[in-house]
Amino acid sequence: MTWIWIVLAPLLGGLIYGGERVLRARMQRRQGPPLLQPFYDMFKLLDKRTLILHAPHALLAVAHFFVLWFTVAAIFLGWNLIYIIFLHLFAQILLILAGYSVRSVYSHLGANRELLMVVAYEPVLILVAVGFYLISGSFEITTILQGDGYWHQLPLLFVALLIIVPIKVKKSPFDIGEAHQEIVGGIEIEYSGVFYEFLYMSRFLEYLFIYSFVFLFGGESYWLGAVLVAGVFLLVNLVDNATARVHAADMVKIVYGFAMSFAIINILGVLL
Amino acid sequence: MKFFTPFRKKSPWILHYNAGSCNGCDIEILAALGPKFDLERFGVINTGNPKQSDIFLVTGPVTYRSRERLVELYTQIPEPKVVVAVGSCTTTGGVFRGMYNVEDGIDRYIPVDVYIPGCASSPQLIIDALVKAGEILESKSKAIEKPFKLFGAIETIGNKLSRLNMAKKVHDDED
Repeated sequence: MTWIWIVLAPLLGGLIYGGERVLRARMQRRQGPPLLQPFYDMFKLLDKRTLILHAPHALLAVAHFFVLWFTVAAIFLGWNLIYIIFLHLFAQILLILAGYSVRSVYSHLGANRELLMVVAYEPVLILVAVGFYLISGSFEITTILQGDGYWHQLPLLFVALLIIVPIKVKKSPFDIGEAHQEIVGGIEIEYSGVFYEFLYMSRFLEYLFIYSFVFLFGGESYWLGAVLVAGVFLLVNLVDNATARVHAADMVKIVYGFAMSFAIINILGVLL
Repeated sequence: MKFFTPFRKKSPWILHYNAGSCNGCDIEILAALGPKFDLERFGVINTGNPKQSDIFLVTGPVTYRSRERLVELYTQIPEPKVVVAVGSCTTTGGVFRGMYNVEDGIDRYIPVDVYIPGCASSPQLIIDALVKAGEILESKSKAIEKPFKLFGAIETIGNKLSRLNMAKKVHDDED
């Protein structure tokens, strides 16, 4: 059963992304695209002529997608949380290498910003994993999911995670890696056709990755987890529609100033 | 492949280029993309990146300073691609026709598929044109389309560019 979910993971992520586009349109009082729009885009991209700059550049995007898929598979199989976080870091590093491997200035800018984002959210993710460990006594997701809810014991850690969710799903105010009117997609800029599609699909998997961290806060009650995910999803989209992009350096300051201190205070509170 | 062809119409991503326009048509395009007319319900996204777009929306009579970039952007869009000329200036030169510093419309540089009249053309017309462009996109093949004229850096390396060689090859195969 788990294996079916793993194979269907990009489709599931695509549905979430399509639903999100409809939701954002409704928030702006528009009709919005159909729910299956991401799949239409994918099929169209398959039919486009592909321009490749050089082979490693194209291949790194494919590798990024498959490592990310493996990460999501590891989450579904309930493996070690620390292992999953570092697998995800590996996927990001492949993407950053792809950004630096071409001579386009915008691609380099995008890679720089992607690095800044990794620097910003990675410590918080690890602190979230440490918080789970302190309560449940294990880094394994299967064990974490047997605990009875982390919501009341790790409230500040949840707020810290809430701050970094927009970074990961590339939403305002922290969409500096993509920044469409500013650096035209950053790393994505030199990709076209089939290879752009891999980057487009890896965005779906990022959604599954970060929202599964939110889901873990529900513990053994899957209903609580689902409610948390739905609430965070709505909140992130509301904030995305209501705010502008912050400066890249300010993002690191905000995350280190608020999210990190919230996380550390919470962990100290549990320890003492 | 035949299976994927119908999906071209369902997600036409646009690239908007201002070739010396007065911004009237640009504002109408933005109005068409905005909440009231909501082009996104057809799957349209304003990508701003030629390598990922299908429809090239051009506004303005082509000024001498902008024609080089116009041709270069056109060559960077992967096939199948459709060019839409928005507004009177882009189709014929409009009030600027015959002036010393503009060209009379874009169709002497790149092949145009859809012409939209109007100064400035209304959002309703732009929506109609994009629907029409989607139909044309569906009927096109993946054969390489070339601009009529080359400028600057592209011209100096000219036929050494592999894409142009490929175009020649495709052309020879058809003969």
